[in-house]
Amino acid sequence: MTEATTPAITCQNLWQVFGPGANDALVEALARSGGDAEAAAAELRGKGLIPAVQDASFEVREGELFVIMGLSGSGKSTLIRCISQLLPGTGGEIRIEGDNVVGASKQKLTDLRRRKLGMVFQHFGLFPHMTVAENVAYPLKVQGVGRKERRARAQEVISLVGLDGREDSFPRQLSGGQRQRVGIARSLAVNPDIWFLDEPFSALDPLIRRQLQDEFLRIQATLKKSIVFITHDIAEALKLADRIAIMRDGRIVQIGTPTEIVLNPVDDYVREFSKDVAKGRHAKVASVMRTGAEEQGPDDPGLTTGMTLDTALARCMQLYQPVPVRDASGAIVGTVQPSDLAAALQVDDT
Amino acid sequence: MSAVDIPVPRAARLTVGTKAALITALVGALCLALEPVAPWLGAWPKAWVLPATDWVGTVMTAFLAWFKPVARLFSAVMVYPMDAANWILNATPWPLVIGIVTALGWYLGGAAMAALGLGGLGFVLASGYWHEGMNTLALVAVSVPLALLVGGAIGILANEVPRIRAAVQAVLDIMQTVPTFAYLTPLLALFGFGPVVGLIASAIYAAPPMARNVMLGLERVEAEVKEAAIMSGGTRMQQLFQVEIPSASRQIMVGFNQCLMAALSMVIIAAVIGGFNDIGWEVLLTMRKAQFGAALLAGMVIVAFAVIIDRMSAVLATERKRHDIRVVWGLLGLALAFTLVFWTRLPAASELTLLDPVAVSLDQGLTRFTQANGAALDALKNNTLYYVLLPLRIGLDQAVLPFTWGFSWTPQMSGALFALGAVLALGMAWAGRPTAGLTALIGLGMIETGITNLPWPFVLTGAAALGYVAGGRRLALMVVILLGTILVSGLWDRALLSLYLCGASVFACAVLGGAIGVASAVWSPVWGVVRPICDMLQTIPLFVFLIPVLMVFQIGEFSAFLAICAYAIVPMIRYTRHGLVDTPDEMMEAAISSGATDWQILRDVRAPYAAPTILLGLNQTILYAFSMLVIAALIGTTGLGQSIYLALGQADVGLGISAGAAMAILALIADRLVQGFAEERRKALGL
Repeated sequence: MTEATTPAITCQNLWQVFGPGANDALVEALARSGGDAEAAAAELRGKGLIPAVQDASFEVREGELFVIMGLSGSGKSTLIRCISQLLPGTGGEIRIEGDNVVGASKQKLTDLRRRKLGMVFQHFGLFPHMTVAENVAYPLKVQGVGRKERRARAQEVISLVGLDGREDSFPRQLSGGQRQRVGIARSLAVNPDIWFLDEPFSALDPLIRRQLQDEFLRIQATLKKSIVFITHDIAEALKLADRIAIMRDGRIVQIGTPTEIVLNPVDDYVREFSKDVAKGRHAKVASVMRTGAEEQGPDDPGLTTGMTLDTALARCMQLYQPVPVRDASGAIVGTVQPSDLAAALQVDDT
Repeated sequence: MSAVDIPVPRAARLTVGTKAALITALVGALCLALEPVAPWLGAWPKAWVLPATDWVGTVMTAFLAWFKPVARLFSAVMVYPMDAANWILNATPWPLVIGIVTALGWYLGGAAMAALGLGGLGFVLASGYWHEGMNTLALVAVSVPLALLVGGAIGILANEVPRIRAAVQAVLDIMQTVPTFAYLTPLLALFGFGPVVGLIASAIYAAPPMARNVMLGLERVEAEVKEAAIMSGGTRMQQLFQVEIPSASRQIMVGFNQCLMAALSMVIIAAVIGGFNDIGWEVLLTMRKAQFGAALLAGMVIVAFAVIIDRMSAVLATERKRHDIRVVWGLLGLALAFTLVFWTRLPAASELTLLDPVAVSLDQGLTRFTQANGAALDALKNNTLYYVLLPLRIGLDQAVLPFTWGFSWTPQMSGALFALGAVLALGMAWAGRPTAGLTALIGLGMIETGITNLPWPFVLTGAAALGYVAGGRRLALMVVILLGTILVSGLWDRALLSLYLCGASVFACAVLGGAIGVASAVWSPVWGVVRPICDMLQTIPLFVFLIPVLMVFQIGEFSAFLAICAYAIVPMIRYTRHGLVDTPDEMMEAAISSGATDWQILRDVRAPYAAPTILLGLNQTILYAFSMLVIAALIGTTGLGQSIYLALGQADVGLGISAGAAMAILALIADRLVQGFAEERRKALGL
C-alpha cells in the first residue's frame, strides 16, 4: 500500500464493552459464536455487560469528512471516544495513518495527541479558569512551546474562527456559539491531521448552529482535515458529510454517501431517518441518470451530474422527453427521463 | 363464591415495619415480665463484662510506646514553626496586624470585609486578650497548612487510585463521628503535654473536610473538560495540576474554609489540656473561677476570630469581584506609618483593658438578674428536670416521687399505663395503622422504664428492627454487632446515659427546629430573622456554647441539655426550610391549579416532597448533638462524654479510646439508620 492510499483512520471489528471483566467476556463470547457479532452481543448482554460498540468496521480517507449519525444511546459517542482512545477499546483494531493505537503506550498516545489529533466536544469542554487565548494555547503549552510562540499561534486560530478581540475573555463571559468557536480553535491549535468533532453544534440554537456549520465547511475547505464528525441530526449529516455511517444499538447499519443514504436506505430504521428529509435537496441528478446517449428528445435544459434533483426538476417542468446530462467538463454523459426525477422525489408512505 | 374471594389472613398483610415493631414490643414485654425471675435480662451482668477497656489500653500503650520516639521527634521539630508563628504574631505591633488583616479583607471582599477585619480585631484588642488570641492564631496558622497538605494529598490520592476510594471515604466517615476529645488522649500519650498536642489534634481533625472536598471537587470536574485535557496531549500530572485542580478550585476553597474552621474549633477545645496561654484556656480558667463576664468576653474574642476567618475564607469559594489593589497598599502604608509615628506612645496590647468595665458590669448584671429571677429560672430548670428529663432517664416508675410529683408510683399505675398502651395499639391497628399503634405502645413502655433502665435484649432487638426496616439485613446485622461490642465491653450503662441525653436533645431540636423551619419556609420575614442567627450559631466554636448556659443555669444536666440543643438545632431548621422551599414550582402550580389551600399544599405536597431532606437534617442534628455531648461533659453530664473527659485527665488511653469508639459507634448507627430511612423516602419519590 502506498502512502497516498493509506486511509487516515481504519477501524477493524472494533468493540467497546462496559462492565466488569469485559475483555475476557468478549473474547469468550466471540469464540463461542464463531465471530457472529449479533450472537456475541446478545451473550454479553445476558451477562449484564453493555456492548456499546459492536464490531464496527470502516475507513476514513484522507481529507474526508466522515459523519457518524445515530440517536442517543446508539453508541456514536462511545465510538468516537474509542477512536480517539479516550476509551481503551475492548476488541478489534484502530489504525491511525496505518499505526494500530489499541493498546499503545501512554507515551505514544500523548505524543500522537500532541502532533496529530484535535477534538471538539458537545459541551465545549473549555477550561473555566483560563482565558480564551490560554484555552486555545493549552495544547501548545503542554508540549513546552514558548509563551510568545504559542500566543502567536493561538492568535492565528482565534482569527480563523472569528473571535478576534475576545482573547482575554473567560469562557463564562461568552455565548454558547462563541464558546464552541473557542473549542474549535483549541482543537486546531497544533494543526492536527485528524479532527474529531463530537456533536459540536448540538448544544446550540438553530440559527447559530447553521452559521457555525457554514463556517465549519469554510474552514474545512481550506484545511482539508480528515474528520470524524458525530451528530444525531440527519439534516446536519447530509449537509456536511462526504460519507455517513448510521449507527443503531451499537452497530453500524449503513455506510454511504448522503445520496445513497437518502435514496437507498438499507432498512426501515434508516428509511425512518430520511423520511422527513427533502430528498430533492440532497440527491443529485447522477443518481437517476441513465448512462449512454440513447434516444433524446429535442430539448436541452442544461442538466449536469452534480445538480440536485430539485434544481433539475425545476428546469424540466414542461418536458416529457428524455434530456441530456453533462458532466463538469460539458461532455454529455447520459440521459434523464423527467418523470424519473419526479418519481425519485416521491415521499415514502410506508 | 370462589376460593379467590376468601379474605387474606391479617398476619399475611403485615408490612415489614409492623412486623419489626411487633417483634420489638414482644421482646420488650417478655423482658419486663421475666426480669424478676431472670435479672440478667435487665442489666447486663457485671460478671459477663469483658475487660475490653483494659485490653485496648494495653495494646494501645504498647503501640504508642513503640511509636513514641518518632512522635517525640516530630513534636520537637514542630516546636520551631510554632515558636516562629507565635513570635511573628506577638512581636508584630498590633496596629500593623490590624492593618494587614483589614487590607486582606479589602482584597478579598471589599469594604464590608475590611470593616469586619478592622472591627473584629479592634474588639480583640480592646478586650485585653490580644496576646492570648495571637497564641491561638499561631496554632491555627501552623496546623492548617499541615491539614491542607495531608488532606489535599489524601484527596488527590483517592482520586488517582479508584481502588482505595471507598476505603478512604469510610475512614473519613468514621473520623467525622469520633468525638473531638477522644483524639486527645492517645495524642497526649504520644506527644506529651504541651501545645503540640493541640496542634496535631487540630491538624488531624481539620484534614478530613479538606480531603472530602478535594475528592468531591475533582470528581465533579466535567467529563469533557478532563477529556479536553487528555486530547490536548497533557501528561497525567499536567492534566491534574493545570486543568483538574484549578477547575475544582471552588469546591477546594469550600474545603479550605471548613478546614480553617475545624482547626480553630479543635485548637480551642485542645485548650483543656492546658499548658498554653491561649484564648480557649482563658475561657476555661475564667469559667472555673465563675468570672462569667470575663468568660463571655473571652468567648466573644473566639467568636470574633471565627467570624473573620469564616467569612473571609468563604469569599474564596464564591465568584468574587476584583477590588482595587491600590487600596490594599494604601491600608498597609497607613498601618505602617501609624505604627512608626505612634508606636512609642501607644499602649502595649496586654495593657489594654477597655472592656474590663463591661465584663465587670456584665458580672454584676448577671448576678442581679439571677437574683431577681432566681425563682423563675430554678422553676424552669427543675420542672424540666423533674417532669421531662428525669422520667426519660430513669423512668416514671422511679422518677415519680412524692416530693416532686406529689404522689408515688405504684405497680398498678404501671399496669394501667401498659393497658392504655395496649388499647391504643389495638385501636390504631383497627383503624388500619398497626405500626403507629405499636410504636406508641413501645414509646409508653420506654417512658415507664426509662432509657437507662431499658433491658438490653429490647435495645438490641429494637435497633436491629429499625436497621432492618431502614436498610435490610446487612444494616440490622451491623447494628447488632456494633451495639454488642459496647454491651460486652462494659460501657453499656454509660452508652445508655449518653443515648438518653442525646435523644432528649434531638427530640427537642426536632420539634422546635422543625417548627421554626416550617415557619421560615411559609413566612419569609421569619427566615430573615432566623437566618443570621443560624449563620452565627454555625460559626461559633462548640466550646463557646457552654458559657451562656453556665452563666444562667450553673453546672448540671440541664445546662448541658440546653447547650446541645442550641448547637444541634441549626441543621434541623435549615434542612426543614430548604426541603419545603425547594418544592419544584411545577408541583406547586399543579397543586394551586387543583384548588388546594396553602395548608393543604404544605401538608400534601411540600411536606412529603421535603421528607428526605428533613430526614437528612435530622441526621445532621443527631451528629451535631453527639459531638456537643462530649464537649458538654465539661459542664457536667454523665455517660460516655464524661468517661472520655476523665480519661483525658488521667491520661487513660484505654478508657479514652474505648469510650470514644463507643460514642462513634452510637453516632455511626444513628447516622446509618436515618440515612437508610432518607434513602428509602428518596427512592419512593423517585428522586
